[in-house]
Amino acid sequence: MQLSIENVSKRYGRGNWALRNFTLDLKPGVLGLLGPNGAGKTTLMSILATITRATEGRVTWNGADLAKNPDALRSTLGYLPQDFGVYPNLSAVEFLEYLAAVKGLDAASSRRRIDELLNLVNLTDVRKRALGGYSGGMKQRIGIAQALLNDPQLLIVDEPTAGLDPEERVRFRNLLSELSGERIVILSTHIVSDVEATATDIALISQGTLVTHASPEALLQKVEGRVWEWILPSAELNAARQQYLISNTARRSDGVHARVIADSGPPNAQPLTPTLEDAYLYCLSQHRSGSTK
Amino acid sequence: MKPGMNSARVLYHMVRADFLERVRRYSFLVTLAFAIYIGYAAYAGTIIVRLGDYRGVYNSAWLGSVMGLVASMFLTLVGFYIVKNSIQRDQDTRVGSVLAATPMTKAFYTLAKTASNFAVLASMIAVMAGAALLMQLLRAEDPRIHLWPLLSPLLCVALPAMAFTAALAVFFETVPVLRSGMGNVIYFFVWTALLIGPGTQTLDRKKNEPVPAMAYVADFSGIVSTLGQMQLAVHGIDPDYSNGASLTIGDTQGPPLKRFVWSGLEWTPALILGRIVWCASAILLPLIASLFFHRFDPAREWGRQKSQAPAIAASEMESHSERITAAPVSAASLSPLPQASHGIPFFRLVAAELRLMLKGKRWWWYLVAAGLSVACFFTPLDAARGGVLIAAWIWPILVWSAMGSREARHSTESLIFSSAHTLSRQFPAAWCAGVLVAILTGGGVGLRLLSASDGHGLAAWLAAALFIPSMALALGVWTGSSKAFEAIYTVWWYLGPAHHTPGLDFMGTTPASSTPATYAIAAMLLLAVAWLGRRTRLGYA
Repeated sequence: MQLSIENVSKRYGRGNWALRNFTLDLKPGVLGLLGPNGAGKTTLMSILATITRATEGRVTWNGADLAKNPDALRSTLGYLPQDFGVYPNLSAVEFLEYLAAVKGLDAASSRRRIDELLNLVNLTDVRKRALGGYSGGMKQRIGIAQALLNDPQLLIVDEPTAGLDPEERVRFRNLLSELSGERIVILSTHIVSDVEATATDIALISQGTLVTHASPEALLQKVEGRVWEWILPSAELNAARQQYLISNTARRSDGVHARVIADSGPPNAQPLTPTLEDAYLYCLSQHRSGSTK
Repeated sequence: MKPGMNSARVLYHMVRADFLERVRRYSFLVTLAFAIYIGYAAYAGTIIVRLGDYRGVYNSAWLGSVMGLVASMFLTLVGFYIVKNSIQRDQDTRVGSVLAATPMTKAFYTLAKTASNFAVLASMIAVMAGAALLMQLLRAEDPRIHLWPLLSPLLCVALPAMAFTAALAVFFETVPVLRSGMGNVIYFFVWTALLIGPGTQTLDRKKNEPVPAMAYVADFSGIVSTLGQMQLAVHGIDPDYSNGASLTIGDTQGPPLKRFVWSGLEWTPALILGRIVWCASAILLPLIASLFFHRFDPAREWGRQKSQAPAIAASEMESHSERITAAPVSAASLSPLPQASHGIPFFRLVAAELRLMLKGKRWWWYLVAAGLSVACFFTPLDAARGGVLIAAWIWPILVWSAMGSREARHSTESLIFSSAHTLSRQFPAAWCAGVLVAILTGGGVGLRLLSASDGHGLAAWLAAALFIPSMALALGVWTGSSKAFEAIYTVWWYLGPAHHTPGLDFMGTTPASSTPATYAIAAMLLLAVAWLGRRTRLGYA
């Protein structure tokens, strides 16, 4: 099972390139695709989900070129888009039955699968209610259920925790970790904690290009010895922001406790154990300063 | 700042934003293209105003009046369907929720939307004014340009009609029943009534009789006023003139027309009053519409079925489900799908599409559909074919009109189009479901034609059963909306099958008016056009 993205670029009309020369090889596990808003994550997800075609480059699934044979992937694809709708007059069961038919699943298997999925996403009690009356979080859970309908080998989820309450969010993270065993899961998000909890690999994307692809441990190593706690008077905070990359601040009685990411710490700053968020910000700032030079 | 000044500023910015949003869409180019085509058709003689054997010399007054008539006739119909989406768009883009949280009143909003609709329609009138000027220069029958006679019919006759059309569009968007696709169908009949309404018989009045004052006032489109005065002008030069007056499309047959000099509309007090009345109605109507306007309150959204819990209860429903199913569940609870589970018979997919099409209809809809279907079996064959079938195949218009655009309308494209074999299975299944609706509702006539061994009749019936869903699918796929089919099908249904017009009667309601081969070919072409549209829409095909 292998998904290969080879020098993929995407341009919308004659406008800007949303993606440039993106290359990545994926094997079973959870890939956390991290990047700021507008980095090109959703464009990449749309290409991988066969919704839109790459302008340049190619994507292969187990060696088959998606441009030539998209159905090779589609039959084993589960896709949860960032924005999607539902048919408001259908109940959850009817909607999933319809999508199961579109995905080509037989009646007996899909019926059992739908029951299990509705239980999994905690919607069994409202399974017969029309979707038009569902809240945003409930619709999101229907989206998660439909993505798992065909027991996909490639599961692509784009900003999946948007609209979920904290409990559902934890439940979904756990679900992703469990699902990752024998399939490729791509989790696209800008919420670092979602990736931290589930990803076996992380790809950082910014301005349409791949910044880095590494394991969480390798990413953390990049920022090892570069995170500091600096206590400074609040009046000096703005000036400090001009000088250093500050990922977090907390006001205390002795001043502002600033979390600084820098190769060498400010005077009297104490080293801290880095988090994935520190690593993310560090890599992005390195990439930005590199691209502006 | 004075409150009045502030309101004017808010109104200006609302109209401006709405107008810019519209004119920056490709659909606006289509709108302008339509206005240009109408102008060209008038130039080329495809659309012509005749007064018996006469037409006017192509001077400023004649061309201005002809353009005014053409605009009033066509843009009041087409323009309505073009602008009847301003409130819906605010709902779709969720801008409406932001506006609803401002101090803006409902009446102010509906007035602003009317003004925005009017701006779009007025831009089409501006194009037609340019076309009139160009026509005069190109025709060169009278090269002298007189701006008032050229522009006054457009400004003072056509624009009030556009203002009322703009207001009607807002009214239709706010009144619950009219907001749906049903409103698109109903508008055609409202438009017909307005056009051939109270004043039209005036055109058949006795020779040389002036146009009655009430006819001016009731004249929504300005057709009675303009043609009525033109009749009097022709009488002035030809006492034998029979009072004939018509605006015809495509009929270029017959001997060359004699010419008369038309010096323009005489602005009588009754004519001026009539135009003021329609302008005033265009202000009054949005005020009435504001009484029905839901102000983007989801609990008041039309179309929410009784079976659906109101949105306000969704969170309660959610917490309820949380409480009941608190036990943690895991992916281990999912049974693996056997390999054999992939691949279902095509008819199951057709059944799924059919269920999706018919879901959400109320009991009385099924009752009427069943009644019409049964009537197709038991009414005498001629009456069934020429009467009941016509009703049976207008009734499911809203079922067919959702074809091809349902995915775009409900934002399910990414879910459906990322599934395997969408183009080779889901697309044909949706078409087959549309054909099945035609068979289920009008099948009685088909069976009886078969048992009567009426091969030609059966072919016409079958061609229609294929043609209707093909047209729905093609228009839905290419426009991403149900509106185009609702408007075009209603007009076509009225002009063709309802009047048994040869060539336009796609249902073949009488042996004389049916042309099955034409519509069978058209059905296949439309299906191909729809398929191409869907193929284009899919990133990978």
